[in-house]
Amino acid sequence: MSRLTVFTTRCALLGAMALSIVPFQSSRAAGVLTVAMTAGDLPVDTGNPDQGFEGFRFVGWNLYDALINWDLSSKDKPSDIKPGLASEWHIDPANSKRWIFTLRQGVKWHDGCDFTADDVMWNFARISDQKAPQFLTQQFALSRAYLTNYDGIEKIDDHTVAIKTKFVESLFPYDMAYVLMVSRCRAEALKLDWDAYAKAPSGTGPYRFASMTPHERMEFTPNKEYWDKARVPKQDRLIILPMPEAATRTAALLSGQVNFIEAPAPDAVPVLKKGGMQIVTNTYPHNWPYILNFTRGPFTNLKVRQAANYAINRDDVVDLVGGFAIPEYAEVPPTLPYYGHPVVYKFDKDKARALLKEAGCLPCKVTLAISTSGSGQMQSLPMNELVKQQLEDAGFVVNLDVMDWNALLDVSRSGVPKYPNVDGMNASRGLLDPVSAIIKPVASAYWSPAGSNWGHFKTPEADALVTQIFEEFDATKRMALLTKLHEYESEQALMIFVVHDLNPRALSPKVKGFIQSQNWFQDLTPISVDP
Amino acid sequence: MSDQAILSAPGAAAEYDSAPATKVRGYWQSVAYRLSHDWITLIFGAVVLVIILIAVFAPLLAPFDPYAQSIVGRLKPMGWRGHPLGTDELGRDMLSRLIYGGRISLIMGLAPVAIAVMIGGTLGVIGGFAGKVANTAIMRTMDVFYAFPSILLAVAISGAMGGGIFNGIISLSLVFIPAMCRVAETATSQVKNLDYIEAARASGAGTFAIIRHHVLGNVLGPVFIYASSLVSVSILLASGLSFLGLGVQPPEPDWGLMLSTLRQSIYVDPLGCAMPGIAIFITSICFNLVSDGVRAAMDVRI
Repeated sequence: MSRLTVFTTRCALLGAMALSIVPFQSSRAAGVLTVAMTAGDLPVDTGNPDQGFEGFRFVGWNLYDALINWDLSSKDKPSDIKPGLASEWHIDPANSKRWIFTLRQGVKWHDGCDFTADDVMWNFARISDQKAPQFLTQQFALSRAYLTNYDGIEKIDDHTVAIKTKFVESLFPYDMAYVLMVSRCRAEALKLDWDAYAKAPSGTGPYRFASMTPHERMEFTPNKEYWDKARVPKQDRLIILPMPEAATRTAALLSGQVNFIEAPAPDAVPVLKKGGMQIVTNTYPHNWPYILNFTRGPFTNLKVRQAANYAINRDDVVDLVGGFAIPEYAEVPPTLPYYGHPVVYKFDKDKARALLKEAGCLPCKVTLAISTSGSGQMQSLPMNELVKQQLEDAGFVVNLDVMDWNALLDVSRSGVPKYPNVDGMNASRGLLDPVSAIIKPVASAYWSPAGSNWGHFKTPEADALVTQIFEEFDATKRMALLTKLHEYESEQALMIFVVHDLNPRALSPKVKGFIQSQNWFQDLTPISVDP
Repeated sequence: MSDQAILSAPGAAAEYDSAPATKVRGYWQSVAYRLSHDWITLIFGAVVLVIILIAVFAPLLAPFDPYAQSIVGRLKPMGWRGHPLGTDELGRDMLSRLIYGGRISLIMGLAPVAIAVMIGGTLGVIGGFAGKVANTAIMRTMDVFYAFPSILLAVAISGAMGGGIFNGIISLSLVFIPAMCRVAETATSQVKNLDYIEAARASGAGTFAIIRHHVLGNVLGPVFIYASSLVSVSILLASGLSFLGLGVQPPEPDWGLMLSTLRQSIYVDPLGCAMPGIAIFITSICFNLVSDGVRAAMDVRI
């Protein structure tokens, strides 16, 4: 054997060894991502999930897509919507209440069927048409908040549909970013047995369903054929566990049971850091306010609302939550493009007291409904106790009506018609899109219980601005109007503004590649886990 | 038993053999004698007394206002700036809150039991003495409540009625009434056919007089003993309700509620988190041991 042959053979062997090692390392590096959620149970997987936006975050957006998805790729700018199963959409030039959606071609469901316009038609019937055989009451309930303005759908061709709205709404596409599409093929193969479907769900999302142990864990595997190649998961497996106790989640992370936890208790963060864990935070569209009653009681008076806002020492609240919040002086965080120049209610106890005196409400008795815990409620009890003390220091007499999260959700959904004696309610709010963030809380069209204007706020100025916004299709002009509305709501002291959450998460040092977007939803696909 | 039981002190038989039986202790004297020789009961009884006195004189003993917050002084260790047991998650003095918390815990321990004794005891005596339809109606209704585990029933009632001290007392009372009723009914059924009751009836005594003079005396012993054993259970259940957010509501200084809110700080201040639990443990075990001692002294089997 010549030296050249020997050299070539050795090179080939070394090359083969290297090649065999590289995929091995890569597959090992992918690892298993195990997430401890704050939810008390596994979210439903038959379409739109329950368990609030956490259900969307860990089940909804992993198994499924909507016509319009959220762009969660950046941590530096507020996330916005982007094409999902619809590659493009526009308003019908001849009809301002008709939106045309061009569907993405070449998309396959996890079960291998092709995605078509018929699937979209079938899905909308499933959540809105009680006569359709696929109608599912549970999904109707979980989707109806996003179908307030939906007035029907029609198929134009195999890859185009048109959705009609009840009234002109330039921001309607945002609603479509909360309606997830499930596989007609799989559901019909299971004879529309939704219990069976829950054990074998099929979507178009970046993860496939692998297994589920009820109330305990749900497992997913990557969908290697996902249509968005940039979002093919980089882990071998994703496991989610419901773990509502913050201290339990912390212990689970420290012990290695999980490697990703939601919302650790702020006081546990130093211990987690000492244990080498990564603490990830970012601003996101969340607020922790008191939503007020405008039908009766002290908060019908603007001066009392302003007094309450001046009475809040937000820096102390931020300290209480270990710095994982930013002071909230208006409805949305300053990072959102329509923030503008709202009134800044800097802590001024004397000014608050003077305003109460002017309003003839000193001492000013108020009843605030609060929950012991809940999705997005942060450290609910101590924060509410602190706010109570601050309000009382300024001349309020606060009665905290404490209830569990589901009871507060009933207060929240039913509104002041059912709970007229509640002067204010502490419920955190998701501000993902302008309609949810600043339009629904002031427009009379959204009065509770049908909409989320909980306290029945109504002024001609607010309603006129909302109509202008909905009828404005020029994005720049619309942004100016949204900014004006946000500033107006601040002048009106629409809520008692307290803090915006920074949403801490704790990750094992082995978890790599997570980008915390400025959104309630997060993309888990870029994450890899070291061995 | 108070009518007929003449008990002598343990070990006194030999004394009686050598001396004329001129002095025989009455029932309550005998109970007192036994208790005075039961050091465990005496020691834990003294602790219960101290806890009660601390709760009664809380405004005089608490070094700070239990509601006064200080964000800069949160979760501070023992001895920090005059706070003997440190501060809680809102910078409130831990010792003051524990002292005031004893008031609420004792109220939540005693009030439901007292209400249950009155209502459950009355229903039990009526059911036991009247028998037949009244007994069936009362006891089968109580059985419905018995079908649920006590903590589950307390959580369900509190959940339906909402939180707060008043609702907590009502829910715990409803939990204890069936058990109390059963004890009273059993004791009443046992004595109602005894000869002296028959004799009283034959002598023309009315039902109310028989119950008052001849039945209650025999029923109160077991009821009292059972009630004393329920005090510690009531404290534990009340703490559990508060821990779950269904009992006492913030910012009231209740031990169960303190345990619930402090648990988020367990990694920072584990000792501080444990303090309300230690208070619950000490109080409930003291009541339990005292109850055991009194039961033994009264020689009652439940």
